[in-house]
Amino acid sequence: MLQKLSAFGFLLIVWFIFAGKITVDILIIGSAASLLVTFFFSDMLFREVHRRLPWYHYLRKLALLLLFVPVFFYEAISAALKVSKHVFEKNPSFNPGIVKVKTELTDITGLTLLANLITLTPGTLTLDYDRNEKSYYIHWIDVETVEEADLKKKIIARFERWVGVIFR
Amino acid sequence: MTIRLIFSYFFMVSSAAFAVVTVLGLLRFPDVYTRMHAAAVVLTMSAVLMSIGTAIYVWEFFLSIKIMMIGLFFLFSNPMATHAIARASYKRKIALPKEYEIDAYSEYLGRDSDEHS
Repeated sequence: MLQKLSAFGFLLIVWFIFAGKITVDILIIGSAASLLVTFFFSDMLFREVHRRLPWYHYLRKLALLLLFVPVFFYEAISAALKVSKHVFEKNPSFNPGIVKVKTELTDITGLTLLANLITLTPGTLTLDYDRNEKSYYIHWIDVETVEEADLKKKIIARFERWVGVIFR
Repeated sequence: MTIRLIFSYFFMVSSAAFAVVTVLGLLRFPDVYTRMHAAAVVLTMSAVLMSIGTAIYVWEFFLSIKIMMIGLFFLFSNPMATHAIARASYKRKIALPKEYEIDAYSEYLGRDSDEHS
């Protein structure tokens, strides 16, 4: 029930933002559309909580999520500059390869988010996730090392701690 | 007011610079996967920076939030598309990387890496 209510509220807020103003007729049409979407697809937007946590844990997670945004943009800009340095070389001198990186996350939302963050950062690209060995296969534009610990430190450690705390 | 315009122009100019870098990278990089890295630069940096710059430029509550939502949708949809294209082109043998020294993914798929080296 809470899942459906939160999905309905979220969709209604998005509807108001895209409509641009708050009036009665927009409220009626928007609630009808949100109700229809909630009725069919509510289990895809939010999941039920399996384990009860005290309420301030969720507040802390929200604060960490907001703090994560500037960290991500800093990492993305520095990685984009690193890739665009290769563009202006006379002969593009990099060493592309596909490496295997182990991860410690178990939550499926966290795994998906981490894979998306790795792909969003220029220079690394997630190809696949192996469920048995809990490892990503990552295409890296400039392979500097094949050591397990170094790989982990250079590619995913900067995001894994954040994601592991937020989605636990 | 002029400070706001200067900020928005700064964001727009940097996004345009990243877009130029992307086009050069698409033309110059050797194979499919490295070109996809160059395309990831434009989709993360350029589109998001341009949406931030436009949101600062118009400076109206609902319109700015709408433009920021469009940037957020870019951030959601881009990695899925990139990942799907790369994985399909590897698995369907459309563009296999032939000269890579480090290729852990072919072992996972059970392919003999000597076959196409």
